[in-house]
Amino acid sequence: MHMALADRLTALLLFLLGLALLVGGYTMDRLEIRQIHPASIPGLVPMILGVLLALCAVLLFRSSYKSGQRNAELVLSGGSWARLGMTAGLCTVYALALVGWLPYFWATLVFTTCFTLVFSFPLDGGRRAQLIAFAGALVLGVVVSAGSSLLFRELFLVRLP
Amino acid sequence: MSGLVDLFAGLGTLMTPAMLFHAAWATLLGIVVGSLPGLTATMGVALMTTLTYSLDSTTAIFVLICMYVGAIYGGSRSAILLNIPGTPASAATSLDGYPLARQGRAGYAMGLATAGSALGTLAGVLMLVLIAPPLAEAALNFGSFEFFWLAVFGILISGQLTADTTPLKGYIAGLLGLAVAMIGSEGIHAHVRFNLGVQDLNAGIALIPAMVGAFGFAEVLTAMWNKAGELAVKKDKSDRTIPDLADIWRYKFTIARSGVIGTIVGIIPGVGEDIGAWASYATARKTSKEKEKFGHGSHEGLIAAETGNSAVVPGSLIPAITLAVPGSASSAVLIAALFIHGIRPGPLIMIEQPHFVGLISAMVVIATIFMAFYGLTLTRAFVQVLKVPYSYLMPVVFVLCVIGTFALSQRIFDIWIMVFFGLVGFVLRQMKYPMAPLVLGIILGDLLDKSLRRGLTLSDGELAPFFTRPVSAAFVALIVLSIAMNLAPVRRVALAPFRWIGARFNA
Repeated sequence: MHMALADRLTALLLFLLGLALLVGGYTMDRLEIRQIHPASIPGLVPMILGVLLALCAVLLFRSSYKSGQRNAELVLSGGSWARLGMTAGLCTVYALALVGWLPYFWATLVFTTCFTLVFSFPLDGGRRAQLIAFAGALVLGVVVSAGSSLLFRELFLVRLP
Repeated sequence: MSGLVDLFAGLGTLMTPAMLFHAAWATLLGIVVGSLPGLTATMGVALMTTLTYSLDSTTAIFVLICMYVGAIYGGSRSAILLNIPGTPASAATSLDGYPLARQGRAGYAMGLATAGSALGTLAGVLMLVLIAPPLAEAALNFGSFEFFWLAVFGILISGQLTADTTPLKGYIAGLLGLAVAMIGSEGIHAHVRFNLGVQDLNAGIALIPAMVGAFGFAEVLTAMWNKAGELAVKKDKSDRTIPDLADIWRYKFTIARSGVIGTIVGIIPGVGEDIGAWASYATARKTSKEKEKFGHGSHEGLIAAETGNSAVVPGSLIPAITLAVPGSASSAVLIAALFIHGIRPGPLIMIEQPHFVGLISAMVVIATIFMAFYGLTLTRAFVQVLKVPYSYLMPVVFVLCVIGTFALSQRIFDIWIMVFFGLVGFVLRQMKYPMAPLVLGIILGDLLDKSLRRGLTLSDGELAPFFTRPVSAAFVALIVLSIAMNLAPVRRVALAPFRWIGARFNA
């Protein structure tokens, strides 16, 4: 995707967010019952921010039609989508699902070992190399999960999830 | 001169075996974090904040300062050896550091970078102890009107100077940060705003989970997305790490100028080390007698970049301590850490803790000494650190992001916030939105909101005091000028005197 198109889509989102802030600020409770000064209503700054954000969105939309190197640039290019997808997937599953569902130690052990294996397992390597990679990932998983558990539970007195 | 007296008193306080031990490991860890591409100084300070909850306030702040100083310096390692800046602050370093490494002079490049960093930090410390106390005293006269404009100016200038392509994206990032700060209970009437029916949002979005997400998780994603660099392994027999004193002396004016530029850039809210390095590098190149060597292994260029980025560290502490307005993203985290440890940065600091500026300056000095020691002695070890594969490093970093975030309030909700900011932060970075104004917006949102509404209440709804009070008027003039500088004719006229002075110097 080119930067111009990405900017247009973002401008649309930002405009809607700006409108939401403006409407949210305008309809916000003005606390008349507490007889506050009308200039100190809680919705004042959100309304101003909403207007400014919508204005910036319009300017961004307009600037995306200018010809130039900046708008011709590719967004999210030059990297590996597979690595990004796997990293985002593994990290999100660990943080949003495993932690809290499994005890912290096991969640971290599973995550660290899987992450390391996914990115370092030599699929085309010999049996020995594969065993070494597996052992390395497992050792790292145990060390990280045990180390962080001990550090936070015993030293920082955190009740682990 | 009381600042200097406080500095020496601070050095006396910190010269205990326990404190020096903490400084030793924290600076070393900072250099390691900074040297690894994908781990930035801000991320290091944010993660380290989560590990210092149980320490007493002085030790915790000391550890964070050491991490900050070490990480900014550490970025030069990978910039020189891999041509990939370990932190954005070292981007200018790679221009001349990597060519030197390719010539087999990586050791000497690292020695020069170490000397430049140490001298830059010390120059910044000197300005910190001299500027911070009078600035804090002057800020005692600030009222709501002035604080409102200060917050606006901070976000605006940060957006303008850190944007990669167009200032508009910097402004948008700042506005998004301010919008995030509007979530939760507001500071005047305790009315809950935009909680979307989620009870956990009643207290607002905590800074540490947001920062760990935007700088930790987003960095993990960026590191795994990018390609790895090629290590410069060629070694010349004449290569050595200890820099030639004659070389340093030859560039004394470059060092002094870069130190001043770096510190001034540090004082400007939310701008940061990378701009300090680029500004110093560009100025050194413009005024150098060896312009043609820049970009091909120039010693002067390397020293200028490293002096510039390191001087930003103490420079950024000046507004952070005296105004509670961060000079860089890392110092934004430091402000959050100061609050966590019961220290209230702001104009009252000189009344509540008059020796704090001296103490924090002493922390920077000690961290600099350790940094210089490690920088000159552990060259080979740092080369080994750069060989650690990401597949082993990144899960460890992410585990720390998760557990460190959770440890703050022991809420799973904070982990969700961290993940959200990580994913959004990654996409925003890819689309060239700078992160510093976003963070500044989150930090300054409350100040801006309260100051505007308090000011309007005090003036009974009149806008005039926002424009007629002397300091407010000065801020308004600066803000208008900053925006107008986006227009080419205004920029030409405004910069004409500086060009004229520069031309006289070059002649």
